[in-house]
This record gives sequence, structure tokens and C-alpha cells, in this order.
Amino acid sequence: MNLNILWFILVAVIILGWSVMDGFDYGVGGLLNFIAKNDEEKRYVINAIGPVWDGNQVWLILGGGAVFAAFPLVYASIFSGFYLAMMLVVWLIIFRAVSFEFRSKVETAKWRNFWDTDITVTGLGIALLLGVAIANILMGVPLNKEHIDYQSLFSLLNIFGLVGGLISLFMFLMHGSTYLIMKTEGEVQHRARSYAKGFAVAFIIVTLLFLIISPIFAPRLLGNSFGIIGDIVPVIMLIGAIGVILTAGSTSDIKPFAYSVVAIIGAVASLAVGIFPNIVPSSINTKYSLNIYNSASNHFTLLVMLIATIIGLPLVLIYAIYAYKKFGLKVKMDDSSY
Amino acid sequence: MDSTALLLARIQFGMTAFFHFLYPPLTIGLGLLLIITEGIYVFTKDQEYLRVTRFFAKLFAINFVVGVASGIVMEFQFGTNWAQYSSFVGAIFGSPLAIEGLFAFFMESIFVGVMLLGWNRLSAKAHWVSTILVAFGSTLSGVWILVANSWMQTPAGYKIGSNGIPKMTNFWQMVFNPYFPSEFTHVIVGAWEYAAFFMAGVASWFLIKNNKDMVMRKALKVAVIVGVIVACGQILVGDIGAREVVKYQPTKLAMMEALWHSQKYAPETLFALPNNATESNGPQIGIPSMLSMLSYLNPAAKVMGLNAAIRYINKKDSKLDHTKLTLAMFPPVWIVFWSFHIMMYFGFYFALVMLIALYLLLKDKLFDSPKMLKLLWVSTFLPLIAIELGWFTTEIGRQPFTVYGLLTTVDSVSKNVNVLDVGLSVVMFVLIYLTLASFAIYLFKRELRERYEGKDELAGESAKAAN
Repeated sequence: MNLNILWFILVAVIILGWSVMDGFDYGVGGLLNFIAKNDEEKRYVINAIGPVWDGNQVWLILGGGAVFAAFPLVYASIFSGFYLAMMLVVWLIIFRAVSFEFRSKVETAKWRNFWDTDITVTGLGIALLLGVAIANILMGVPLNKEHIDYQSLFSLLNIFGLVGGLISLFMFLMHGSTYLIMKTEGEVQHRARSYAKGFAVAFIIVTLLFLIISPIFAPRLLGNSFGIIGDIVPVIMLIGAIGVILTAGSTSDIKPFAYSVVAIIGAVASLAVGIFPNIVPSSINTKYSLNIYNSASNHFTLLVMLIATIIGLPLVLIYAIYAYKKFGLKVKMDDSSY
Repeated sequence: MDSTALLLARIQFGMTAFFHFLYPPLTIGLGLLLIITEGIYVFTKDQEYLRVTRFFAKLFAINFVVGVASGIVMEFQFGTNWAQYSSFVGAIFGSPLAIEGLFAFFMESIFVGVMLLGWNRLSAKAHWVSTILVAFGSTLSGVWILVANSWMQTPAGYKIGSNGIPKMTNFWQMVFNPYFPSEFTHVIVGAWEYAAFFMAGVASWFLIKNNKDMVMRKALKVAVIVGVIVACGQILVGDIGAREVVKYQPTKLAMMEALWHSQKYAPETLFALPNNATESNGPQIGIPSMLSMLSYLNPAAKVMGLNAAIRYINKKDSKLDHTKLTLAMFPPVWIVFWSFHIMMYFGFYFALVMLIALYLLLKDKLFDSPKMLKLLWVSTFLPLIAIELGWFTTEIGRQPFTVYGLLTTVDSVSKNVNVLDVGLSVVMFVLIYLTLASFAIYLFKRELRERYEGKDELAGESAKAAN
């Protein structure tokens, strides 16, 4: 295994870390106005992610930095090529990042309704746009000889992109619901159980739809580099989602979340397996595609960054475990809560 | 990419960086002050210091989230608007950004949740440790971001590869590039300076209304003691930083000092109206030989003027394929000159204000001096202006380069982003940032008013006790 392959895997791991850790934040946000009926319940739901959302969001920053350092051409091509879509995501993230703190500061109904809607809309929007972007990359991006992509925002909103968007939307809503099963009790938890089931079913349906239309829109997914083994990786997504359906109604608070994590692992693994060794396939000519070799930094940078990651990532896990432990499994409100 | 799109991309970068940097200095600086105030509480059990900490932690939180929100775009903007820059230097410049996420931003962001929402869940000592980790994490974040920025000023630890693209060859040389130590110190001390003025200003606002407010007396005391040290120290740090500019960025220094032609016994110009078209300063006031003295510690030393500096860079970088520099490619000198000079004048003002405040504090007259309290309150946000002017100096002064001597701004911008897209995003950023700033100001004011009116249960008690 060489450094380029290792970095491809590491970027996939960071995307996985982000989807698992920050994915439920977006899911919980997107659910807020539906699952919580009054201000007390809304505060309860928000405080389920309150102490941790900011730390989780760093996975996204890390992902951006890691792609920039390891595969600078991918960073440059995708972000400039998806210009307005990227900007839209940034604006949504900006308005989400301030929402929890700002909401808690003023108690009037008008103020809180504004931020509740903001939390819900930004959560749903980010969850949807993520899948749209990824499906478009899988389908191939019109990269020219210089690996530059000239296209408009609206060309991203095609059928394949939208189905991909629904996958990430339902995946994060399912994940958020199972997270709330784990973190809450009573009425909210009860509702979260039925939401989890519903979104798991929806996730399975759109995933199957995506797999069925893939040969038309993204034929290279079937011709992946791993043959039959590659073709069955998406099954992990379905196993996870079925696990959520089977356990959401049970007495277990943790199992549905664990199965949801399995589904996300399946999704990220399918993505990685489907695209390898490319990172951004060109729809104009396969010779123009960006792969793990022609888009990568030099050997020395990859090595330095690998050493940094080996030292840094365990530290991150230690901080995170400490923080989650301090706030306990179930949400308990006090005078410093949001 | 036409010139309008380039201009818009530059406006967008300047604006988003300007707006973002309104917030991190307070995060970094207030972090240090909270370590001090909470530390005093932990070791003396003085409840009033706990109240100082908890009140300023609320203001910290508002500032923090806007900083986080506005920082996100900075991470992605290099790719969206500066794709050529990103492909050219990503292998070097991307590393400090990724390392910042891994080693600093995670620490800061995970522990900020523990610190702000965990008052009742941790022992006093464990909470203090969280506060320390937040402050340490945000400072470390500054380290890596400034590694990235200082590398753009004085690139080091690289070699131009066979494809014409620079490759990192030595990580630590890249990190400790010539400009890094002084830039880092200047920025971090500036953040502490701003935080000291912020805490002093807010405390003074309360003391103007009620000078028996014991909690705010303690806040002011801490702020003034820290403020004197950092404001005086900053003058020294700034002086050292300027000498690095002399050594490594002759064109920037010439613009900072509005020096058009090389000169022995060069004066330190205090007032001038620099004009690029005539290459002269119009009416000017200066201290004879002072610039030579400050630059080389020798009054007779020759300081390079802008024209000579341009020739020098052209000759030095003749192997690189960026176009030959001409004066027409440089920004209006008055912007760099005045940004630098107003910042410098502010620096002396801050030291003076803090010295007077310390004198009154030692004489036990500070809390009974409404004039001084008012001066401190009026000065609350002035360091922020100085900080932004400092960035104007260093970033506009680096033009026409993005990476000094290596890559010009014209060659950095994305080729595939059109005027309409950048125009739209510029407009959106203006609207979003004005909205965020208004919310932040509204919430700041609200926190102050609530505490004053005693609605804030923690502060209310002490205000009552004081009365």
C-alpha cells in the first residue's frame, strides 16, 4: 500500500467521522420543528446536541484541510467548479453555527420561532446538499484537460443528484432520530422511535432507487475496481437500515443508533469503493479525471501529514470521549443549558 | 477570468477575512483573562471572581459562535475563489490548515462545550482546566493559521519541482519561516491587548453606573494589570516585527513608510499624502534619520525606496516566471502608509491609557474617577480597529503577490468562476455579515443591560450585596 492509497482511505475515514459525528447534529436540527411540540421540548432536543455540536463540526473543517493538503487539485477543482453550491452550504452552516447560542439568549416566542425554523431549515438543507454534491461527483464532473470544471449551480440539480440528496437527507434524519432515542426519554423519545423507523424505510427506498438508476447515470460504479466485492458493499447500508427498523421499537436505547452508524459506514464505504482510484471522474474524457495520483501532493507532504494524523486523531478521540462522558447518556437540563 | 471577477474575488476575500477577524482576537484574548479570573477563584474561593468569569464567559460565547460561523468560509474560499493558488501551493499551504483542525480547533471546540455548558457538571478545578484548554486551543489555532499566513509572506522550506510547482522539502522550515515568530507574537499580544481593553471597557461601563459593583472592580483590576503589560510589550514586539519586514519584504516596508526612493538618513515619516501617480508624498512631516535608525539601528543606513525595492525583487526572482513587477501593479501607497501609521499611533495610545489607569489603580483612585472610566469605556473596541489596520498593512502591503516573490494575485484566482457568481456571493456575504454583526451587538448590549437591571441572577446578587 502506498501513501496515496493510504490518504484516500484517511479522507474516507474523515468523511465517515464527519457523517457519524456531525450527521446526527444535522439530523436533530432538521427534526427540531417536527419532533418537539413546545419550547420546553425544543430546548430538551437542542441540549441533546448542545455541548457537542461545535466539536463535531470540526470534522468538516478537518476534511477541508485534509483534502487541501493531500489532494490540492481536488480541493481546487471541486470547490471552484461547484461554486454557488459550496457558497450555499457555507451560508447554511454559518446560520446554523450561531443558532443554538443565539436562540437561548432571548425568551420571546418570535425570536425563538425564528431560530427554530433556522435550525430546522439549515439542518435539512445541509443534509440534502451533501448528497447532491456527492452523487454529481460519482456521475462525473465536466473536467477539462486542465482539470477545471465550468458548470452552473442548476446543472447539479439533476435527477441523479437529487436522488443522492434524498439518500443523505434520510440517512441523517434517521441518524438524528436514533441519536435522540439514545439521548432522550419520555414523549420525545417515543416520537424519535417512530421517526427513526420511518426514515430508515425511506432511506432503503431511495438507496434502492439510486442503485437501480446508477447504471444509467453512473455506469462506472458497476465497473468498480473491486469487482463483485465492491458491488455488495452497498448491502451494508441496507443491513444497517433494517437493523434500525427492527430495533427502533424495542426497549434498547443504544442499538438503533449503532445500526444507524453501520448504515453510514456502508454509505461511505460504497462511495469510496465506487470511485476508487479516481476522486473526481471527468465526464468529458476519463483521461482528465482526477485520481489519487495526479491530484496528490508530493510524497513528503503526504508523509508529514500522515505522521500528524497518527498523533492527532487519537487526541481528538480522547477529548470527545471525555466531553460525552461528562454530559452523560441522557440529557439533563440545568441553568447553564441552552 | 476577467478583471472585474478578480476584483470581486479580492473584495470578497478581504471582506470575509476582515469580518472573521473581528472575532477570534477576543476568543484568544478573553481566553487568557478567563484563565486568570477563574484561576483566582479556584485558588482563593473568592466568589466575586467566579462572577467575573461567568459573566464574561457569556460575552465570550456570543463572540465565539460568530467567530466559528464566519471562519468556515475561510477554509473553503481558497478553493472556490483561488483555485489556481490552491493547486499551486496546496501541498504546502494546506498542511498547516489541516493540522490546525486536528491539533487546535478540535481541542478548542470540544472543550468550549464543556466550559460553557458544564458549570454544574465539573469540579471547580476540572472546569478551570477546560477553560485553559479552550484558551490554549484557540491560541494554537492562531499558531497554525499564522504559520499559513506568514509562509505567504516569507515562503521557506520548499523547492520548485520539475513541474514548476513548489514542493515542501522541510516541514519545520516551513513552520518557522522567517516571518512567523514575530507575526505570531504580534497577533497574539494584540489579541490579549484587545481583550484587556474589552474587559476594562465593559467593567467601566458598569462602574460608571455603580462604582460599588465589587465584581466589576475586580474585573477592571485584572484587565488593567494585564493591559499595561501587553500594551507596553506590544510596542517592543511591533518594533521587532517591522525589522523583519525590512529584511524580507522591502516593497512592503517602502509602502508602510511612504519611501519612494532609496535614502541614507531616511526619516520616519509621521504624516504624508502619498500619491502613486507622482511618486511623491506632498506635504510631509517626519523625524530625520529615524527610519534608518529603526531599520538598521544606524542613522546613516540606506533604506530601500519602493522603486529600488521593485528592481531588487525583479532581479532576485528573475528565475521565476511571474511577470516583471512595475509600480502600476502595486496598491495605492497611502492605504498601506496610513493603515500602518494609525495602527502604530493607536499602539502608543493604548500603552498610555493603560499606564494612566494603572497609576490611578495604585493610587486607589481608579474607581472614583468617572473621566478615566469613561475613557476606558470609549476605548473598548479601539484595539479592534488597530488589529484590522495591522492586517490591512500586512495583506495589502504584500500585494501584488499572494505568496511573496513566488505567486502574484492575478495568477491565483479561479479561472472558472464568473462575475455573476462572485458578485452574487459578495452581496450575500455583505448581507449575512451585517445581520450577524447586528445580532451579536444586540445580544452583547442585552447581556450588559440584563446584568445591570439585576435580571441576571448571579450578577444581581453581588450588585445587591455591593449596594
